[in-house]
Parts: sequence; C-alpha cells; structure tokens
Amino acid sequence: MEHQPFEDWLLADQPLTPEKKRELQSHLRECSQCSALAEVNLSLRAAKLATPQAGFTSRWQSRLATQRKSQRRRQLIGSIILVIGGVALLGWVTAPIMGPFMLAPAAWITSWITYLVYLLSSLQTLGELGAVLLHIIPDFIPPFAWMILGSTISGLFLLWTVSIWKITRVPQGVHNEDIA
Amino acid sequence: MNDEKAWVLQAQHGNDEAFTQLVETYQTPVYNLCYRMLGEAELAEDAAQETFLRAYQNILRYDPKRPFPTWLLSIAAHYCIDRLRKRKFSMFSIDDDESTFELPDTEAPNPENEAIKKEERDQVHIILQSLDATDRAAIIMRYWYDFSEAEIAEALNLTVSAVKSRLHRARRALANLWQDPSLHTRAERMPYGTPAF
Repeated sequence: MEHQPFEDWLLADQPLTPEKKRELQSHLRECSQCSALAEVNLSLRAAKLATPQAGFTSRWQSRLATQRKSQRRRQLIGSIILVIGGVALLGWVTAPIMGPFMLAPAAWITSWITYLVYLLSSLQTLGELGAVLLHIIPDFIPPFAWMILGSTISGLFLLWTVSIWKITRVPQGVHNEDIA
Repeated sequence: MNDEKAWVLQAQHGNDEAFTQLVETYQTPVYNLCYRMLGEAELAEDAAQETFLRAYQNILRYDPKRPFPTWLLSIAAHYCIDRLRKRKFSMFSIDDDESTFELPDTEAPNPENEAIKKEERDQVHIILQSLDATDRAAIIMRYWYDFSEAEIAEALNLTVSAVKSRLHRARRALANLWQDPSLHTRAERMPYGTPAF
C-alpha cells in the first residue's frame, strides 16, 4: 500500500478499525515521515497544561485596581483640559466685550444701565400707546366693519381646521404600522 | 443555572466578585494557551492577565449562547497572535528564545522516564514556536482543549475548511521538525503510536 493513505489517516485524527490500525502499525515501522507524524500527535496529546504561579487572581485584582486608577487619572486630566479649553474659548469669544470693561469698568456699567433704562422706558411707552389705541379705535370703526372682520377670521379658522383634518386623517383599511 | 452562567450573569451586572470567580476558574486554561503561544512564562503571565482584563471590559458584549471558555480563549488567542505579529515586526526572532529554554538535565537524580517525558514535552514546546501564529493557535486549541474544527473556526474567525487546512499544514511542519536530529537527541525512539488508536 502507498504512503499517502496512511498520512491521511494520521492527519484526519479519526478512530481507525482494528484492520486499519494493524496496517498503519506495519507502515509506521518502515516510514519515518509517518512515524514522526504519529509521534508528534502522541506528544501533543500527552502534553500537560502549564499552570501560572500561585496568586494569579490577586495579581489580576491589583492589575485591575491599577488600571482603574490610571483610567480615573486620565479622566481627571481630560476634564481639566476640557475646563481650561472652555474657559479659554469663552475668554476669546468675550474678549471684544471684556476689553472695554477691563479698561473702564465704571463707564461700561453706566452705559449698560442707561441702555437698560432706555429699553424699559420704550417698552412702557409702547404699552401705553397700545392701550390708548384700543380705547379710541372702536369709536371710529362702524359695526358692519366689525362684522366683516369677524366673519373673515371665522372663515380662515374653519379653513385651517379642515386642512389639518384632511392631512392627518388615516384612510380606511390602513393600519398605523403600515404608515410607520 | 450552573455556577459559571450565574457568575457571568452577575459579572455582567457589575459584580466584581463573580468575575474574580471566573478568573479563578479559568486561569490555568488561559495561561496555558498564552504560554504555548508565546513560549515564555513571563510573557504568558502578562498575556493571561491582559486577557482577563479585556474580558472584564467587554463582558457586556459576551453572548451567553456561546460557551464562555471558547469566548475567553478566543480573546487570549487573538491577543497572543497580535503580540507575536508585533514581535515579528520589531525584528525580534522567536527562534532566539530556544537558547534560553531550559532543556532537561540528564544528570538529574529523577528517574530516567521522567526526564524523557520532560524532554519530549520541551521538544513539543520548542517546535510549536516555529509555527505561524494562527496555525499554532489552531494546534493548541485542538490538542490541549479538544476543540472541534468548528469551535476553532469560531474562536479564530476562520472558516472550517481553513482550519482543516491549517491543522494539516501545521502537523506536517511539526513532523518534519520532529525528524530533525539536532532536536531529537534521544537514542531510543518512543514506541510507535497514534491517538487515533
């Protein structure tokens, strides 16, 4: 019998019939290549598990603790960099405003207070003007004009409601999941 | 639910004690794989520790449908393969390790059979280091952990046919090295035999 089938049997690493075993044993005595293959197989099977030195788990626990510590340190450094960066960015953005403030803080505060007083008094004036107009206008507008205005507003509101209903209406036989 | 599944579940919920139990249980298989892959006890210790650290960090990504040891050994194997590749690129030859490997002391007072067995084990260890990293991982998983070809394929992200081909190639390479007289110094050959018997 040729060499190849024996090598295939050895490489397949499958159980052999007693007859095949005898044939293989006889071939192994003649073929150094196949006997080396068989010896390697046997040695690999006989090799034992290498074990770590005692205290592996406690060493792992301390390694985990060290890793967590360095991770926390990295996070802290990252946060500090972020805060410093944020402050620097804020400073850069507010520099045009802060410049005059830093040079003359009293003048800057006075101008801002003046502006706020002006803004508030303007709003108050506008409110008073609106109140006067609401008090005077009804006497100048005839009743039919009020009726036309009321009808137009009601019609527009009805049109808006119908449009919304048309758009959002789910057609018959269509399920919500089909739409989704 | 067995202990392992309970520990994994508890570890996934942030219980460090449960993960420590897993480290305690699987330290030897993980260490052995790293030792056979890297060839040195110190490197194996570091790789095994790193494997458990990676497993701890990725425990939420573990799929409980998969066997936990397969997942763990897969992490170890990938880590070792990466490390061997980096070592290769850093111009450090694995073959150099052989000179530092402790060969059996034939003058030792131990019985001769013990010395022979140790010598054979060391020879296996030395010739393993000559294999390509992935082939080595496949051989280790097959012989030390009795992984099927499908399990090896899953652990190493290969196809089953690729695993078969790698195992065949690796066994042939190991047999060729086994015949090297410089490695095999023992005058008396061991009795012919095969695990197929």
